[in-house]
Amino acid sequence: MADAPPVEVRALTKRYGSTIAVDGLSFAIPRGRITGFLGPNGAGKTTTLRALLGLVLPTTGEARIEGSRYRELADPLGTVGAVLEADSFHPGRSGRNHLRVLATAAGVARPRVDEVLEEVELSSAARRRVGGYSLGMRQRLSVAGALLGRPRLLVLDEPANGLDPEGIRWLRTFLRGFAAEGGTVLISSHVLAEVAQVADEVVILHRGRLVTQEPLAALTARSSGGSVVRSPEAARLGAELARAGVEATLVEDGELRVTAPAERVGEVAAAAGIVLHELRPQGASLEEVFLELTAGEPG
Amino acid sequence: MTRLARAELLKLVTTRLLLWNGLLLLALEVLVITLNITQDSTLALASPSRQREIASIAAVSALVSLILGIVSSAGEYGHGTIAHTLLVAPVRPRVAAAKLTASALAGAALALAAGAFAWGYAALLLSARSVPVHLGSGETLRVLPATVLAAAITGAIGVGFGLLVRRQTGAIVIAFVWLLVVEPLLALAGIQEYAPGHTIASVVEAGTQSADLLGFGAGLLLALGYAAAFAVAGAVALARTDVS
Repeated sequence: MADAPPVEVRALTKRYGSTIAVDGLSFAIPRGRITGFLGPNGAGKTTTLRALLGLVLPTTGEARIEGSRYRELADPLGTVGAVLEADSFHPGRSGRNHLRVLATAAGVARPRVDEVLEEVELSSAARRRVGGYSLGMRQRLSVAGALLGRPRLLVLDEPANGLDPEGIRWLRTFLRGFAAEGGTVLISSHVLAEVAQVADEVVILHRGRLVTQEPLAALTARSSGGSVVRSPEAARLGAELARAGVEATLVEDGELRVTAPAERVGEVAAAAGIVLHELRPQGASLEEVFLELTAGEPG
Repeated sequence: MTRLARAELLKLVTTRLLLWNGLLLLALEVLVITLNITQDSTLALASPSRQREIASIAAVSALVSLILGIVSSAGEYGHGTIAHTLLVAPVRPRVAAAKLTASALAGAALALAAGAFAWGYAALLLSARSVPVHLGSGETLRVLPATVLAAAITGAIGVGFGLLVRRQTGAIVIAFVWLLVVEPLLALAGIQEYAPGHTIASVVEAGTQSADLLGFGAGLLLALGYAAAFAVAGAVALARTDVS
């Protein structure tokens, strides 16, 4: 179904005994963009993604890819490529043979195996057994497997876990390139900073429920708004700001934390003829906003 | 053959599992055949039934095939590769069918190779001791395809059992305890000939068996019934399992 969203989760609930991993979750992601799927550990991200990929059977509700359940996809590997959290491989099989097995099962031509190995820069280690691979190499092998069928959608579950900075940078560059060519990406993480540099939109989950879904820019806007000001007349400035209806807190000698933007503080100070030594915008970091969103009980 | 079954066969030949099991089987055959032919008197060795008995060591391939079947299914859970398998082939009954096909074929191929080697090696040693070779007689040769058939069946049983238990070591241990402890105990109740291990033995013996085994036809039917039951149970278990 061409009009269906790449990923749509409808009232998905998954229980394990008395534990509810996902609780009536609904969201859809837009085509051709990178969506960050965020939440603390245990929020239900992995269960949701595995339900989407047909690995976990929902208790109620459903998850669809381009309008179909995963098991209904005519060409699963050509529709969605998946990189699972802590992906596992047979340690005694070479990276190339691992991909050959997948390609044979999916009916993908064998030359494609060498192409994806090249794409993830793993050709030189392709004939080595996976047991000897580093975590970063395993992650690249996982990405290679996800790319075998030339999918339009990539689903990645905590792909940066355990990666070194170089590996994380490689992954970001790769995902940007994939999205630039029209691909859609759903990438989960429990650390906002990991996806903040690549995501266009975020879906935030907590205790199995949706907290918010919004463009990353909107989340960024939430994190701005405050400022820090230093003045030899900090006490008088505090009083003037209070008179103007702006909350200000003296944090140390001569320094105030103000809840208003720097422009507003500057105007109040100028009107009162108060000298400023420093004035800079400062708000909560993106991570703080994320933590704040996921700290309380959802809806 | 479906591409899924080909992928399952590729899995078997791209690790050292098949190689090591094959070498182990080969070493066992060399040991048993050498000991028997060098220790027995030439008079005893001249008996066609004794020669058939010695070459029948190839039937161990049915046990190796059982282990390969278990590893090809339960091993996927152990290594976590079951997720890859199901991502490529989300219709789970097809995965179970492919595993059954591949393990049955691999078991049959292993048994054929083991049988050919056992026959050839035994014939060589018998000739070296100037004993007339009767391994080509119809009754003895019948054991060879019977062993191939038995190994194909145990391969399928192994896959179904592995999908049910999902723990490779646990499944292998249970299988050995069943064969070495439980089935002999069933003899006390006089029902051991209906147990899975004994039905496989009755297939391998190919109509030459003693009174404590079923006939070839009955044994084959019951063995196929066990294979079908394990295959269905394993496929149902796979269909209901969350891979998390």
